[in-house]
Amino acid sequence: MTQSFEQPTVQVQAPLLQLNGITKVLKGQGEPRTILSGVDFTVHPGQSVAILGRSGSGKSTLLSLIGLFDRADEGKYFLHGNDITKLPERRAAALRSAEFGFVFQRFFLLKHLTAAQNVAMALVNGQGWSARRKRKQQVMEALEQVGIAHLAKSKPTRLSGGEQQRVAIARALVRQPRIILADEPTGALDTETGNLVVEVLLNTTRQGCGLVLVTHDHDHARKMGRVMELRDGRFN
Amino acid sequence: MLSGKFRSALVIGGQGIRARKLRTFLSMVSLFLGVLAVVAVQAGSEIAERAMLTDVELQSGKDGTIMGYVPGEKGAPGIVESTLKGRTDAVAMISSRAIIGEPGVRPINEGGMPFEYANRGGDYSGPMVYCDANGTCTEQKKEERKPDGQAIEVSMVALTGDIRPFKPFRSVSGTWLDFGTAPSLAPRIVLNEEAAKGLKQYRVPGEMMIDGATHHVSPQIIGVVQDGSSQPRVYMRLDELRTWMPAAAATTEVDRFRGGGTQLELYLQPGTDDLQQLIKAKLTGAGLEQNQMHFQTVNSKERMESQLKIMRLIFLGMAFLVLLIGVAGILNVGLATVGERVEEFALRRAVGMSRLLLAGIVLAETLLTGLLTAALAIGAGVGGLQVALMMFGSRFPSLQGTAFPWEAGVAGVIAGLVAGVLGGLIPAIRAARIPIATVMRA
Ligand SMILES: Nc1ncnc2c1ncn2[C@@H]1O[C@H](COP(=O)(O)OP(=O)(O)O)[C@@H](O)[C@H]1O
Ligand SMILES: [Mg+2]
Repeated sequence: MTQSFEQPTVQVQAPLLQLNGITKVLKGQGEPRTILSGVDFTVHPGQSVAILGRSGSGKSTLLSLIGLFDRADEGKYFLHGNDITKLPERRAAALRSAEFGFVFQRFFLLKHLTAAQNVAMALVNGQGWSARRKRKQQVMEALEQVGIAHLAKSKPTRLSGGEQQRVAIARALVRQPRIILADEPTGALDTETGNLVVEVLLNTTRQGCGLVLVTHDHDHARKMGRVMELRDGRFN
Repeated sequence: MLSGKFRSALVIGGQGIRARKLRTFLSMVSLFLGVLAVVAVQAGSEIAERAMLTDVELQSGKDGTIMGYVPGEKGAPGIVESTLKGRTDAVAMISSRAIIGEPGVRPINEGGMPFEYANRGGDYSGPMVYCDANGTCTEQKKEERKPDGQAIEVSMVALTGDIRPFKPFRSVSGTWLDFGTAPSLAPRIVLNEEAAKGLKQYRVPGEMMIDGATHHVSPQIIGVVQDGSSQPRVYMRLDELRTWMPAAAATTEVDRFRGGGTQLELYLQPGTDDLQQLIKAKLTGAGLEQNQMHFQTVNSKERMESQLKIMRLIFLGMAFLVLLIGVAGILNVGLATVGERVEEFALRRAVGMSRLLLAGIVLAETLLTGLLTAALAIGAGVGGLQVALMMFGSRFPSLQGTAFPWEAGVAGVIAGLVAGVLGGLIPAIRAARIPIATVMRA
């Protein structure tokens, strides 16, 4: 290599994810309804974003587009600067596994599995394989991170709401995702437990993880780095 | 090295089955009956076919054998005997009547019928009329009725050689005739089971009177065989018969009319056309007509198989219906399970499982259930056969030593697989189509 071309150095870190002009139209029975129209949304590494909005304003819909549960009808989606707008489903599944961690209002824990097995679910998904001992170690680390390692062997029915939601957060963390998507994670919890859960989620951003928190609670929203409000299918 | 997908599937499938033991068990029950029906039909027809085939071989000879029927007239027995002397590729059977027991009495089973039908009622035969080739009919005087006595009538079969290569007689006790030694002066005979039964049942004295023989002899019974005949028969070497009956009796016209007299049956191996021609030529030379000699190839198996095929199809159709009910059962349970597990499946996809793997796991669960059920059903089939043989084996001797036919096992495995695929495919497709966004919304 005798010659080298000067590349312009990118000073600004590439956004974790960037959505441009996202539109989602619901085509059910009757008139098609526009849920989201031309939404722009960006998250940088280590950044936390709160999304506020009335019920039915399209918050969950936006989150399901970000998390690749569903696809937009219009607009562009970049992840780490790569256009993934038209990614085939098989690769979307791989991205869900590697890049995202999901937390829901209902905890979605499997009743027949222990807390540890529920967390391990995110590791036993056909995307790669790690040995039993390695898996166990990863699971215990995630449970420790949310402060409930001592409940590893308990079934969900024996856990309180806050403990169950922390198991769900451990499940979201166990693969060390780049971004956490949380859809009203405190909606089913009392204020105190809700505060604890938000703290746990916010902690994850210290390691450079992005966080998108959908909430109705303004106190929780204020703890985020940025607050956005959805109204009539767009941010304002 | 197993792939991560496969290992994941094993872990998840195991968890799923453990979490729903009762459900798995219930779906197995319906399928079990279906697969068992297929196994039973397959095994039953297979065993029936084998049993029938051995009986058919006993009665009409092995397939491919060329059988010849020749009337025992005009010196035919002697001609055939001398032609076949020392040959192993052809054997002649010369049958005539013989009475074993008290001399000068009416045998218990007059006419040589099976003992089951012996002594049932009186003499129903009317006057006998015999018409010759020219159309002249004469009434035959009835033989004077002899007094009843301790004697049985048998069909006496004299052999020029070993018949077993053509008809696979099974030894019941004692030995078979030895054609390798010099003819014995004390005639040796082998009974079939019916004749042995008659001798035992009626305690007849050991004297034997043969049609055409001038004096009684005391036979030496050396064995009993199963020959597939329901009529009493005794087998002996033709050359030993000759020692007290120098020439086989010529069949009279009357005998022929009554279906009696001396009968000649020839068994030739395939590819002995020259021998067949030679015998025909010699017999024609002796004055027999061509149309009195019948030669034909035994192909009973083919005929029997076409009959069995229809029966088998009917039963297989019935088994298929039962299997269909089993499939419907497993499908029903599978669909209900998917409905119940919608959240689990959506969650698994949310944390990164691909559609294909999810569908694969759902399919694999029913497939495993199907295969396991098939294994159980085959086991039940094998066990059932053992029990059935233990209970009924003695009544059906041809079934003795029957092993579970592997075809039935294969049919069972295929049925289990098919049921697993049919019952699991629709739930698998359903599972793959679950929309994550709809299920996980809050
Ligand atoms: N699967 C669906 N069927 C019918 N309506 C839906 C569906 N998904 C979303 N919607 C509609 O889209 C709008 C936005 O819903 P959602 O994104 O769940 O709002 P939010 O989470 O802000 O409450 C609502 O009016 C909802 O009724
Ligand atoms: Mg919502």
